[in-house]
Amino acid sequence: MSISRDAFNFVRELVHAESAIVLEPGKEYLVESRLLQLARQAGHDGVDGYVAHLSERRPSAGLRQVVEALTTNETSWFRDVDPFNTLKNTVFPALAANRTDRRLRVWAAACSSGQEPYSIAMTANDTPALAGWKVEILATDLSEEMLTKARAGEYSQLEVNRGMPASSLVRHFTRSGLNWRLNPAITQQVTFRQLNLVRPFPPMGRFDVVFLRNVLIYFDLPTKRDILRRVRQVMAPDGHLFLGAAEMTMGVDDAWERVPAGRSSVYRIREEQRACVPW
Amino acid sequence: MTVETPDQALVRAAMEQVWESMLYAVAEPWAPGDHPDFRNGLQAQIALTGEWNGELRLTLDGTVAAEIAGAMLGADEDEELPELDVHDAVGEVLNVVGGSVKGALGGATALGLPGVTPVTVAPDHDDCVVVAWRGSPVYVQVVPAAG
Amino acid sequence: MRALVVDDSRAMRRIVGRILTDAGFEVQEAGHGQEALDLLTEHDTPPDLACIDWNMPVMDGLEFVTEVRSRPEWRSITLMMVTTESEQSRIVRALAAGAHEYLIKPFTADALQEKLDLLGLVPLTAGDLA
Repeated sequence: MSISRDAFNFVRELVHAESAIVLEPGKEYLVESRLLQLARQAGHDGVDGYVAHLSERRPSAGLRQVVEALTTNETSWFRDVDPFNTLKNTVFPALAANRTDRRLRVWAAACSSGQEPYSIAMTANDTPALAGWKVEILATDLSEEMLTKARAGEYSQLEVNRGMPASSLVRHFTRSGLNWRLNPAITQQVTFRQLNLVRPFPPMGRFDVVFLRNVLIYFDLPTKRDILRRVRQVMAPDGHLFLGAAEMTMGVDDAWERVPAGRSSVYRIREEQRACVPW
Repeated sequence: MTVETPDQALVRAAMEQVWESMLYAVAEPWAPGDHPDFRNGLQAQIALTGEWNGELRLTLDGTVAAEIAGAMLGADEDEELPELDVHDAVGEVLNVVGGSVKGALGGATALGLPGVTPVTVAPDHDDCVVVAWRGSPVYVQVVPAAG
Repeated sequence: MRALVVDDSRAMRRIVGRILTDAGFEVQEAGHGQEALDLLTEHDTPPDLACIDWNMPVMDGLEFVTEVRSRPEWRSITLMMVTTESEQSRIVRALAAGAHEYLIKPFTADALQEKLDLLGLVPLTAGDLA
């Protein structure tokens, strides 16, 4: 099972025209896996037939669905595991040692349906060094639809199965019919707001930790560079940036330095660049 | 805690999850048409006992059962699965639907083990949740225990 | 790495077994808790992982977990319930009995893979899986 070159090229051009997001060759598997469900819903056996139908008839709803399917992050809880271990074992304790006001601010910059900011909230709750601290999490996304879902804080059985440790499920959720609802102790820590990363950021204060995971991959180089530069301006000088496993700042915005952490890395603003940041 | 009889919306939602995750399909409501006669049909039952007592009963055509088993096991299109595998797969579909329904009911209710037989009782169409599998109907009926 | 899949459903054993095989495990199967205990007793080295259904004939999954946890020579086995039992109270009970993780049916292959990641059970390198 694989997507044809014609179908991939059509989807690639469509997504670029609609969102400025670039799907490099090698993303065929991503395109196919994300579109298969849409194809089946539309009554096609495979992605090729569905894409051929779209390119011939160009139904606006269908085209929009394709763009959304490819620009929305697939979300599991504690995605990739390691960043959340790093947050709990290294980043949160280091920040806690450096702050006197017992308060931290975190920004989840592409929060999709909420799994990432809520995972951060659960991680903060499980960090002994932050007991009694106030951890505020701002979660933003381009899609109002995603934000509505995220704010509800309720997830299906299939959704909570994705990466959620059983111990977290029983501690932080309450069963609600077939679904599971996050407890207020977690949802109260997270505020959701619509935000387009491509545009200038609205005033939102300064963050100690920024999660910008698996979203830069979708933008072209100048856009990536611009986003990383503006993220620096909303970070505390000793703040920590988390990117996706396949992403890096090197060659994009060299004001960042990579710090190995666990099996992955976090990024910090280089010492000599910190003075340049206007507070 | 009083546990009410599971409603059809709950059963349908449980089936949708199973279709999506185990059968890689979308559980559309069945567009009413001719009901099959089930001469080659299969029926699975699973009992719930405790604060709610009764059973869930799944009925489907034999060909549909074989297709569902094939989808679940990732069998090749032309692979003919042994009857044992088809029965087992159909039983497991109902087991998972039953577990989801039981979990959503709350209260202390136990789930039995699924049993699969040829069709002994034709499904009461009006009283069933009917979901389509490639255009054919799959019936699930909630049957409260007598008394 | 080796895994033991304990489930009375042949279909479910095949599904779980295939996901684990794809992830790099060598897989053995048992149809209920007693059969699984017998298999463990026969082998000198225990498997790294056991995926265990709850409702099974002869010996259910909870009894099996309790039995395994009472035997020091099987302490290294990671125990994961894979079951349709989905009440909060059941999950708590299984964890208290010594299960390390709990996956509720129905699940997708991704969900099982992510549980393996959580448990640090990754026979292949991350690059192979990506």
